Amino acid sequence: MHEQLETLLEMQDLHMQRRALEEGGVRDLETGLFEMSAEQAIDALDAKITELELRLGKSIQERFRSLIGTHRRAVVPVLAGVCYGCFVAVPTSWAADADPNDRLNVCQSCGHFQYYPT
Amino acid sequence: MQLRDFFSVDAIDLDLSTETKDETLKKLVGLFHLDEKSEGILFKMLKRRENLGSTGIGRGIAIPHCRSLVVNRLRVAFGRHEAGLDFKAIDEKPVHYIFLIVAPPLEVSNQYLPVLGKIAQFSKEADVPERLAAVENAEAFLQLLEEKGV
Repeated sequence: MHEQLETLLEMQDLHMQRRALEEGGVRDLETGLFEMSAEQAIDALDAKITELELRLGKSIQERFRSLIGTHRRAVVPVLAGVCYGCFVAVPTSWAADADPNDRLNVCQSCGHFQYYPT
Repeated sequence: MQLRDFFSVDAIDLDLSTETKDETLKKLVGLFHLDEKSEGILFKMLKRRENLGSTGIGRGIAIPHCRSLVVNRLRVAFGRHEAGLDFKAIDEKPVHYIFLIVAPPLEVSNQYLPVLGKIAQFSKEADVPERLAAVENAEAFLQLLEEKGV
């Protein structure tokens, strides 16, 4: 897997955890059942996101920030040859690669980073 | 929605022989048969979640969980560890029963929270630890879930 794609996936997962801790259902469960301190957890997640950001090239960093801020997702899956950022078919040559995740693919239509789940 | 519908027999390991919490998480993630990189990412996310606070809810039960793009549908696994593991659980007692839940960021049917809730509800039943200790095979585990009506 492309190194920066791996970092982007991690960062997106952390953003997701962070968001879940700010909202209803998951926050209630995490603070209730698991007795987590949501505020401390959010601070820890922010610190890790900042640390991971430094591993990205500047243009990738900026694209990630812009996408996550606007669409809440920067990396989207490609399922059955369709980009789940815009639901447009990806070029077949991309999906035909031995492992399409070895490259950092950006959707030509919506600009999201793409990930091919196994 | 029935909890047993989310478990497959090959994602149930009743004889975990791992030494540590990390090793156990890796072993359970392995039950999903993802590629090596995806397994690594998932393990890291689960570890990060554990670092924010243990998912050991007491009475020998832990429910590690996270969302990640490396899975394309909700996946659950169950592991039993006879000797018990240090999970830094709320009651500081060893963990013997581990329910692992992972889900993609977006699910059409949004089952992540209900599944997490149902496992929590199941885990709170008084006789559950004892019953989990007694199950002899994966099928009996699934029958227990069914019997409890979760």
